[in-house]
Amino acid sequence: MSVLETPRIYFKGQVTWDPIVTNNYDTNYDETTGATIYPSAADKVKAFREQAVDAVATGNWNPHGTHRATFFETKVCGFDLGTGTKTADPFVSAGASFEGMLVDLEPYGTFSSQLFFDSLCFGVDGGYRILAPRTSRITARYINFRRNSVNTFIAGVASVVWQTSFAKTDGLRIDAFDSTALKGLAAAMQPDDIVGLTVRFNAYRTIYFDNADLTRGSPAGQAAAQALMAKLKSGGFQPNPARSLLVGVIGLWRKAEPGHEPDGRALTPIGNSALATAHARVSATSLTIDLANSVRETDKILTKQDLGSLSIVAVDPATQAAEPLGSIDYSQYNRAAYEASAGIVTVQLPAGAAQNAVGRNLEVRDAAGTTLLSELAMRAVPAAPNLYLDEGQNVTATFQVYDRGQPAAASVPVTLFRVDAGGGKPDNGTPMTTDAKGVLSIPVAATAHGITAYVPSFGAADQPSGGINPLVNTYMYVRVRPADPDVAQAPPTWQNVYNKVLANWNAMAPCMDNWLKLDDPAQVTAYGAMLKRLTDPTRFEAFRFMPVTRDMSAGERTLLYKFLDAVKSELELESIEAGPDGRSFAELSRSLRRG
Amino acid sequence: MIRLQLEQLNTVQDAQAMLQTAIGVEFGTLPPYLYALYSIREGTNVQAKQRIRSVALQEMIHMCLACNMLNALGGIPTLSPQSYPGPLPGDIGPNGKPLQLHLYPFSPQAMEQAMAIEQPENPPDFPVAAFAEAIPKKAVTIGEFYRTLDQFLSTLPTGDWIAGRNQVIADQFFAGQVFAINQYADAHKAIEEIVSEGEGSSQGTKADPLDFQDAVAHYYRFGEIFHDRVLTKADNPLGYAWGPARLGVDWTGVYPAIPDPGLHDFSKEPPEAQAAQKACNQAFSSLVAGLQGAVTGKDGAMGEAVQAMFSLRMAALHAFTVPLADPSRVAGPAFLNTSSQGGHEA
Repeated sequence: MSVLETPRIYFKGQVTWDPIVTNNYDTNYDETTGATIYPSAADKVKAFREQAVDAVATGNWNPHGTHRATFFETKVCGFDLGTGTKTADPFVSAGASFEGMLVDLEPYGTFSSQLFFDSLCFGVDGGYRILAPRTSRITARYINFRRNSVNTFIAGVASVVWQTSFAKTDGLRIDAFDSTALKGLAAAMQPDDIVGLTVRFNAYRTIYFDNADLTRGSPAGQAAAQALMAKLKSGGFQPNPARSLLVGVIGLWRKAEPGHEPDGRALTPIGNSALATAHARVSATSLTIDLANSVRETDKILTKQDLGSLSIVAVDPATQAAEPLGSIDYSQYNRAAYEASAGIVTVQLPAGAAQNAVGRNLEVRDAAGTTLLSELAMRAVPAAPNLYLDEGQNVTATFQVYDRGQPAAASVPVTLFRVDAGGGKPDNGTPMTTDAKGVLSIPVAATAHGITAYVPSFGAADQPSGGINPLVNTYMYVRVRPADPDVAQAPPTWQNVYNKVLANWNAMAPCMDNWLKLDDPAQVTAYGAMLKRLTDPTRFEAFRFMPVTRDMSAGERTLLYKFLDAVKSELELESIEAGPDGRSFAELSRSLRRG
Repeated sequence: MIRLQLEQLNTVQDAQAMLQTAIGVEFGTLPPYLYALYSIREGTNVQAKQRIRSVALQEMIHMCLACNMLNALGGIPTLSPQSYPGPLPGDIGPNGKPLQLHLYPFSPQAMEQAMAIEQPENPPDFPVAAFAEAIPKKAVTIGEFYRTLDQFLSTLPTGDWIAGRNQVIADQFFAGQVFAINQYADAHKAIEEIVSEGEGSSQGTKADPLDFQDAVAHYYRFGEIFHDRVLTKADNPLGYAWGPARLGVDWTGVYPAIPDPGLHDFSKEPPEAQAAQKACNQAFSSLVAGLQGAVTGKDGAMGEAVQAMFSLRMAALHAFTVPLADPSRVAGPAFLNTSSQGGHEA
């Protein structure tokens, strides 16, 4: 089961996050329609940009963002071929190269982040290397709002699990040379049951303004914001990327395993648990648990909370009788261990103990016997965790249901809740059942534009009555972009194409000035062919798709293309003639947008 | 090849002068690399472009690190664009003949020149090794130059270092690559990075620094393009081989650009070509002004420089498509600083 079995390779380092956050606010952007909300002014774009800069004082921390997310100082740091974490291998210390575009399907909140990218590479061309062209975008799930209560500035308190998988059939390549770690991984990939590789990483200790000492509402934080405003007002290109630490793991991706979020047996927090969700796998001889997103840091220097020895037990759901499976000492989840093996801990099981985990719920308990994590046996994982549709489209979305980490049987009852964009208000739920392969099929009719979350539930323990709990619920976000038929039918003049289409992104994304001045008809027409290529829906998953926020409506695209095609025809003609906390998770999600 | 004059290092002022030379060298390599980069036609030479762009970016970072060192020692970095063709500052060349740097469009000649700039002390098996002859004493490669400087800096008392003076840091750009120089340990780290990324030589004793874990040094990246072969780990005495994988270099995937546009008389060219040159020069001048501000402590100036860099790119890409009077030829940016202000801002 993916990164929970061996071989696996660990990496750690840092990542920058450079999103434009101006669209995180409902005063600036209507996420239902995808439209920029302009202030009343003769030059609405200029006024909007100025308003975005002024809003830095109240939390809009990156109006000049580029959406880029880039690994830096990230290197392979160890591997496990089944005999524990090792570091003696020439592939260890190989650098990781990654550049993606960070985009929230639902921009006001933090539940639907994703990274669009083209490839991920560990090592170098001509040397030890894993080269992984994209199969699907990287998805964020299991945001943990209690990861580090000391690191409070903006979203610094949180951590999140990022994951994607790379199919062998998409050009995945391992250049092992004499690396034992890579040879082991390459050999393990051979069986047909292995689809490719999964890469998962945990991003944590996020800091802003390149200052780890800032705290929410502090004078220092306000001063940093004022300094950024001054820079923005004085001119130039002034991005302000945040940055996180990361630990990650590369492992096998088997058939029937979800590619974009953790697989295995899900252990979710009980009450005010000190631990956040973890996923586990039990083999004949060992239990492996991924604590990458689970154990809190207690201070700025990232000391892991000492919960003493954690015991893992298997609880009979009928009798509540608990069978011990093993234990984890602090030395296995402290900071050093965490950074060495990406939070993954393997516990050797005594002979016969694995059998005790069959049909029972795994639990993690503290030294006092209090249950911190308890297994939710049934999980439903969406095939498309963040789905974009155009108004009028009808599709069938699917969830694969798992029973203790294995594809579930037919006729498993599931209640599917539709939840509002903010993740806070569910409907009454619709009862459904799985098909013969344990798949739940949901017809999604994009009759109206807007954003909705779909949340499957198997009972009281995961019912989203108070909204999405990202540590408990799996979910699919769906964004339906408006059809905008009136825009499509507008005459393809420059005035129309600018005001009804391009001004949106020209206002929201000043960084575009560096590549293409969207208010300059000469540049737009000169680069018309490129614009069409970059906005082509067939390139939707690509790193360089435009608009990066994926919120252009079909009507807007139609008008843009009509304009560009008309100009192209004119140019061709010319060329012939003339030559060349007490809060709900939904509230927490929104609150992380503020400084 | 580049051979820099080593002067006697006795005082902090000597080190400042050496750092100013280093800044000129790093900055001076940018135009030849960018001219070759921007001359490549859209959709061709993807891997070659990637390599040249990565080297140019690192040169910019090396320049910032050298400026940080100079600032930390109380100096004032000055960015003085040079003319092309012309030698890099401080270059005395082997046998007293400095290398005349040209602005060549993407071509084997441009890559050979780039390799000559980046050539380590002990070059590997190809192809400019023949130039490595009779090097006069005190004429050293860029790597040796930095290492000599490093040795001297290690002898300076702590009090000679000024913490936090006009430092370019990675708060907005170059995450993990640019850092403040506040003491000798920082300077040593910076020099290690500059030398290993540039020449790739390890302590000047061995030609092959390749561990095949991180990107290969500049010299080898240009070599890969020149040979159209990926430098590949190999089980042979050298430890590497050229290929068999290719980069897919297409020497024809380039605009028909004249070399050294700074020597060209544009007054006889069509107005569009003159305007394109003017736009390039304006953008370059803004870049110089922005960088000068950034390395002398002006808030927000690096953002101005980066914006100017993007403008220069756009202007250059356009210039390479504008025909000259001879319609079969175009011209890229001459990298002329036409700003009336010039100089530095203390």
